[in-house]
Amino acid sequence: MANEGVLRIEKLRKQFGDNVVIDGLDLTVQPGEVVVVIGPSGCGKSTLLRCINGLEEIQGGRILLDDDEVDGRSKNIAQIRQRLGMVFQSYDLFPHKTIIENVTLSPIVVQKRPKDEAIAEGEALLERVGLLDKRDDYPRQLSGGQKQRVTIARALAMKPEIMLLDEITAALDPEMVHEVLDVILDLAREGKTMIIVTHEMSFARAVADRVIFLEGGRIVEEGIPEQFFTNPKTERARAFLHTFEFAAVRSHVAQED
Amino acid sequence: MKKRVIGIAALVAAFALAAFVLTGCGGSSSSASASASASGESAAASAEASGGVFRTLDEIKDSGKIIIGVFSDKHPFGYVDEGGEYAGYDVELANRLAKDLGVEVEYVSTEAANRVEYLETGKVDVILANFTVTAERAEKVDFCDAYMNVALGVVSHKDNVITDLSQIGEGDEVIVITGTTAETYLTENNPEIALKKFETYANAKTAFENKEGVAWANDNTEVIAFANGAEGFTVGIEELGSLDTIAPAVSKGNTELLEWINEDMEKLGAEKFFHAAYEKTLLEVYGADYEDTLVVEPGQK
Amino acid sequence: MELLGLDVLFKGSNAMRLLQGLGVAVEISVISVVISLVLGMLFGVFMTWKNPVARVISRIYLEIVRIMPQLVLLFIVFFGATRALNINISAELSSIIVFSFWGVGEMGDLVRGSLESIPVHQYESAAALGMTKGQIYYHVVIPQAVRRLIPMSINLVTRMIKTTSLILMIGVVEVMKVGQQIIEANRMASPNAVFGIYGTILLLYFLVCWPISMLARHLEKKWSN
Repeated sequence: MANEGVLRIEKLRKQFGDNVVIDGLDLTVQPGEVVVVIGPSGCGKSTLLRCINGLEEIQGGRILLDDDEVDGRSKNIAQIRQRLGMVFQSYDLFPHKTIIENVTLSPIVVQKRPKDEAIAEGEALLERVGLLDKRDDYPRQLSGGQKQRVTIARALAMKPEIMLLDEITAALDPEMVHEVLDVILDLAREGKTMIIVTHEMSFARAVADRVIFLEGGRIVEEGIPEQFFTNPKTERARAFLHTFEFAAVRSHVAQED
Repeated sequence: MKKRVIGIAALVAAFALAAFVLTGCGGSSSSASASASASGESAAASAEASGGVFRTLDEIKDSGKIIIGVFSDKHPFGYVDEGGEYAGYDVELANRLAKDLGVEVEYVSTEAANRVEYLETGKVDVILANFTVTAERAEKVDFCDAYMNVALGVVSHKDNVITDLSQIGEGDEVIVITGTTAETYLTENNPEIALKKFETYANAKTAFENKEGVAWANDNTEVIAFANGAEGFTVGIEELGSLDTIAPAVSKGNTELLEWINEDMEKLGAEKFFHAAYEKTLLEVYGADYEDTLVVEPGQK
Repeated sequence: MELLGLDVLFKGSNAMRLLQGLGVAVEISVISVVISLVLGMLFGVFMTWKNPVARVISRIYLEIVRIMPQLVLLFIVFFGATRALNINISAELSSIIVFSFWGVGEMGDLVRGSLESIPVHQYESAAALGMTKGQIYYHVVIPQAVRRLIPMSINLVTRMIKTTSLILMIGVVEVMKVGQQIIEANRMASPNAVFGIYGTILLLYFLVCWPISMLARHLEKKWSN
């Protein structure tokens, strides 16, 4: 992880028509850092990731990966995207390709790596996400959780400097969430730089170096997870965290014979 | 934006290429395909030279080929025999015209609905396809002299031959086929006659054979062919209403060709060519009795 | 034999003539289908452009293709071009032009439909993997679109082959016209020829279209694995 870039976002502004989604946001992510972005729906957290990957046109500010500007309309965007591995909520594998082909397509056609090498690396990645036995299956033969693990392997195959994970478990059945998040925890342990948008609070707490609470397109609060989750500074963050808790409506006393 | 411009250019180029391919294919396919169809080098090719849409007599002679539109499925006027050769009453004349002009003949298979179009666009030099002369058509094409008569006819049962429409009583019905000239004529001119209408020839025929209706009105060629083919029927009225004629037609204004055809047909009339043609092609269907009713020898009275 | 009206098939060169007629129909269909497939692909991509001018052009083109009966188009190209522009186009070339004009429009719309049926996530996932526009189309979008396209375009192709019977109206002697010629020439001698000949033509069309349907089924099966 020697020559990883620093991601700097300066005064980012994004609007859909008159609707301002991101409003003058500043953020710097250092190599090896895991930043978790949380916030109520519509707060702009997914849009932020899409902007970082150049999938959205921005209306103000700039996004820099080291000295290279990320701009969806620029000529070198495809090159910059190779340095950013993105995984979406809707695990979109290419349905006409086998699992190993999904993983090796981009290394072979985009990065022009030798086929043997790409396949060997792809197999290693599949092994890592526990799906080497599905190597020659087609995506529709896999469960949602398995597909999402392949998507992660596919993004990793590009050897990206930063992983962008956009609510990657939101579309999964609950019992499949863990197998996917375990993969991410493993990556974090290795020191992979990641920006993660999620609704899984316990996962956020476990994986993050830094938590960013976004609301109304601005960073309302940020801090280390221990501090943020146990003792948030702002009322809005407190209110948001509270929505994940339920007060008991019935009391139960353990009965003994 | 730049990409889009390139895209448009590529699309234009693709269409241009297609046009090129088309032309190439068209050229080869017209020479390779069935001889009976319209070929690439039709009459209109040299239309610009003559100023009109048609080819002049000299242009036809120079090309060594006259293009004639005929029916290919109207036995016995214009049809293709089992050897693949065009034949019939119209084709007899067409072959003879070509021979007298000293050129080859190329036949184009026409349909009733597009005969006028073929002449108006100069895609054929002559139409010889059982073409009835009407005032409406004469505004668009030039008709030569007639070589055949056509009228309505009425066929009736031998035991009750109808020779005049006045013989049809109040309770009697006359069979017609919907959409034919006979239906129009009787509705307009003899509204007092009750009509029994059928959609198809086959249904009308079966009904009439089963003694429905006292008579059956249709084109006289049709009723004559029916009476000759079935027992117990006679054509009591051979010509009803206005007598129409059938003639060759050329493009409007192609006077030179028209005059040459008329001259040639007059010569043919003198040698009783059309009676000979009748005997060769129509006799087996219409019989000898109607030869003089149907055949016209141009220039002969 | 006589009852079925098949006897006329063996008179003279009738059977050979029918086959030659079929050859004419197949030749014109094959050329038109190839042009339609190639240009239809390009037109389909053109139709997905957001550019308003491109939209209007493709809309008008498609509406003309949909509204105009093929027979009218045949008459316009065969007679109309001579009348209005003094260009003489042979009947065969007119047929190819009309069938290609029709095929490119319909094929284009099918291509547009299958391109648009590819979820936007597929484009984005591929883009996020660093693929260029061209790579996205070549490796991700087109292979999926083609799979969706096969059944519908086979349907179009068989429809085009069957519709070639219209070209007899501009004097092209194809299998249907040969059939009518044989039936009419034998109206007196073999009145049942109508059954035998049309039955034979039905069989001939089937023999041409059936392998195409089989190929389509084979491809569908292969890709659904």
